[in-house]
Amino acid sequence: MNACVANFAVSCESGNRTGVRTLQREQELNRFLAEVEKRALRIAEISVRDRDEALDLVQDAMIKLARKYSDRSSDEWTPLFYRILQNGVRDWHRRQLVRNRVMVWFGRPGNEDNDYDVVASAPDPKGRTPDEQLQSQQAMQTLEVAVGELPARQREAFMLRTFEGLSVAGTATSMGCSEGSVKTHYSRAVHSLRESLGEHWQ
Amino acid sequence: MNERKDMVADKAFAEKAKQLFDESVEGLDGQTRSRLNRGRQAALEELETGRPAWVQWAPAAGVAAAAVVAVVLWSGNLPVDQLTPDASAADFEILLTEDSFEMLEDLEFYSWIDLDENADESLEPEENVG
Repeated sequence: MNACVANFAVSCESGNRTGVRTLQREQELNRFLAEVEKRALRIAEISVRDRDEALDLVQDAMIKLARKYSDRSSDEWTPLFYRILQNGVRDWHRRQLVRNRVMVWFGRPGNEDNDYDVVASAPDPKGRTPDEQLQSQQAMQTLEVAVGELPARQREAFMLRTFEGLSVAGTATSMGCSEGSVKTHYSRAVHSLRESLGEHWQ
Repeated sequence: MNERKDMVADKAFAEKAKQLFDESVEGLDGQTRSRLNRGRQAALEELETGRPAWVQWAPAAGVAAAAVVAVVLWSGNLPVDQLTPDASAADFEILLTEDSFEMLEDLEFYSWIDLDENADESLEPEENVG
């Protein structure tokens, strides 16, 4: 009888420990996602040029990370999350391509990027004079357009390295390529952007 | 020399781009932040529902099992008759199986084998024992 009660107590304690661990994991994941979600949204938005689509892509990436990789070490979450997001962005572009082809086949113009209003979707910076705000907004809009026009791999490398601040190794994991490729894509992206934006942008 | 200058310019460019990007992130409107928050909560719910079902019910099942064991042990040893299944019910179940009907047809043969085996055992020499 005593042994039975002792076994039950051990079982309960073990269950509680598992519950506490799961709760801690959930809190850790919540903190991670809260920290990364806004930057991820802007990165996705620059890639697809649509905030609603970007929000959907970020939410999908968050759900997939929680479902498949929540048991991984939290150090791995950032490159994994961005890998999921980048895959989502690539799939989105493929779907758009097919959709546009179908629209052309039926004689209707596809949903071009013309309806993207960079001014309307511009963020609202705080704590500066209207002139400074306007200058920053315009500079960011110009940069967004230029980044959006980069080849996909260069765009990914530039945004992950510069905007998200990932290391070369982390960017390579996120992009699913070698570190050498990351360096090449990043270097080409920076040179291309500097050339297209001109000296006055800086 | 030019290469170094280029590297410095690249770095300055990246820093300015990062600064502008961070400002644009900070400037995200309330509605967008709210939608991000909802998306995050949906992802965390996925984490909860992703657990195996038995994990959610394990504590309750443990308590119930312990209660049953405790009741059984507390009430002392049950009479043997209550723990063994009803003999007539067991016989009936055996008889209803398909094989049993075939067995019934050769009942005489099986009873003869049974008698024969008993007779062999009684005739076994004592030297084989031990």
